Amino acid sequence: MAERGFVGKTSVLIRKDLLVELRGRDTLPPMLAFCVTVALLLAFSLPGNTVMQDAVEVPIGTIAIADVIAGFLWITILFAGLIGFARTFEVDRAEGALDALLLVPLDRSGLFAAKALSNLVYIVVVQLVLVPVFALFFSLGLGADWLVLVLVIALVDIGFVAVGTLFASLAAQTRSRELILPVLALPALVPIFLAAVELTSDLFMGGGFEAVAARGWFGVLIVFDLVFATVGALTFEFAID
Amino acid sequence: MSYGSTIALKPVDLTLYDGVTGLFGPNGAGKSTLLRVLTGLLRPSAGAALLHGDEIRSSDESIRRRIGYLGHEAGLYPRLSVLENLELFSDLHGLARGRVSEIIEQLDMGEWRATRVAALSAGLKRRAAVARAVLHEPDVLLLDEPYANLDDDASERVSATVQTWRAPGRVAVIATHGAKRVKAFADAGIIIQRGNVISYRRRTPTGYEVAT
Repeated sequence: MAERGFVGKTSVLIRKDLLVELRGRDTLPPMLAFCVTVALLLAFSLPGNTVMQDAVEVPIGTIAIADVIAGFLWITILFAGLIGFARTFEVDRAEGALDALLLVPLDRSGLFAAKALSNLVYIVVVQLVLVPVFALFFSLGLGADWLVLVLVIALVDIGFVAVGTLFASLAAQTRSRELILPVLALPALVPIFLAAVELTSDLFMGGGFEAVAARGWFGVLIVFDLVFATVGALTFEFAID
Repeated sequence: MSYGSTIALKPVDLTLYDGVTGLFGPNGAGKSTLLRVLTGLLRPSAGAALLHGDEIRSSDESIRRRIGYLGHEAGLYPRLSVLENLELFSDLHGLARGRVSEIIEQLDMGEWRATRVAALSAGLKRRAAVARAVLHEPDVLLLDEPYANLDDDASERVSATVQTWRAPGRVAVIATHGAKRVKAFADAGIIIQRGNVISYRRRTPTGYEVAT
């Protein structure tokens, strides 16, 4: 049998991570429980019968409900992601499998890609549950703009998992990794989540693709994704070793 | 090599030769630290470990391909079966599928091939771990306490597996605090105490000679 290449070995690692998660259910259930809980609390705490164009009173003035919903949607995804990312290397640390993995002939960027793509699967599953729940609770009627929302989510997810996986590898070397990860990752994630909230808020306010794209946030997301996917792949070796 | 203020391994200068070298010493002597330095997973505070003149670094893919390592832990995924674990590492090393069956048979693990590693006894887990370490027939085999928790029969199988693996150009270092079992077939022995190598001898047709 010819030796598998980079993609083949990376696929083997992703399959392993997903199989272990399927059997252990250590990562996804806490992420999903967190998301559903936040969505429920938010549904009960916001004024009833609100529509996206309404404004709500807050102590410092008025704010569009679309901004609130978009903000909460992405904050929920952000913290659910951090819950998942903190467990990125737990499965490999048990029984010392990480040492064995670090000695296989696969470029470290392959290991990074495998971990990032496994994390991407978890984030996408969370979003597949969370976005419909938000749509149901807050009557999100985007019409054809759902596709734009999917594009926004896809662009955010790439940068999010790249940053999360890279910092998870750094945090994995420390004793208090679950505390260290947010400290390291949150500052780096500010630009991408700012862009995510702005774009999503515009969409919820009824702006179509052209109106949303005109504000330039897509550019921020694309640059962020390129920079962190590249930095992650190149520096993962130093972080994990 | 030090961990904080604790010096785990004092300066070591030796050459390992083809065959099996036993690494003997009490708990805390520095055996595991020396093995981890030899894998490249641990970077020494000073100096370097060399394999045919090339520095051993775990970041070097061509070096990794040639090293088989068993640490204190099994290096296996508890939620995967023995077979799934070995197939995983076989795929990552690009081995033929037949090799997995071969090593399972060699270590008499056939009965447990479908059992998840988490459900194995300590001894069986150790055997599966040895199988994982020798699976890709590395040039350098580093085994840290491979006989831990093994009964006599299983220990014999591990020894036989190492003997089968043995070939010209291959080097094995087997760390253990119980020297008897490894001494029976080792070509050389290193005694280490409190981080110091206090003896390194090679077997000769007429006895033992001091090695360097």
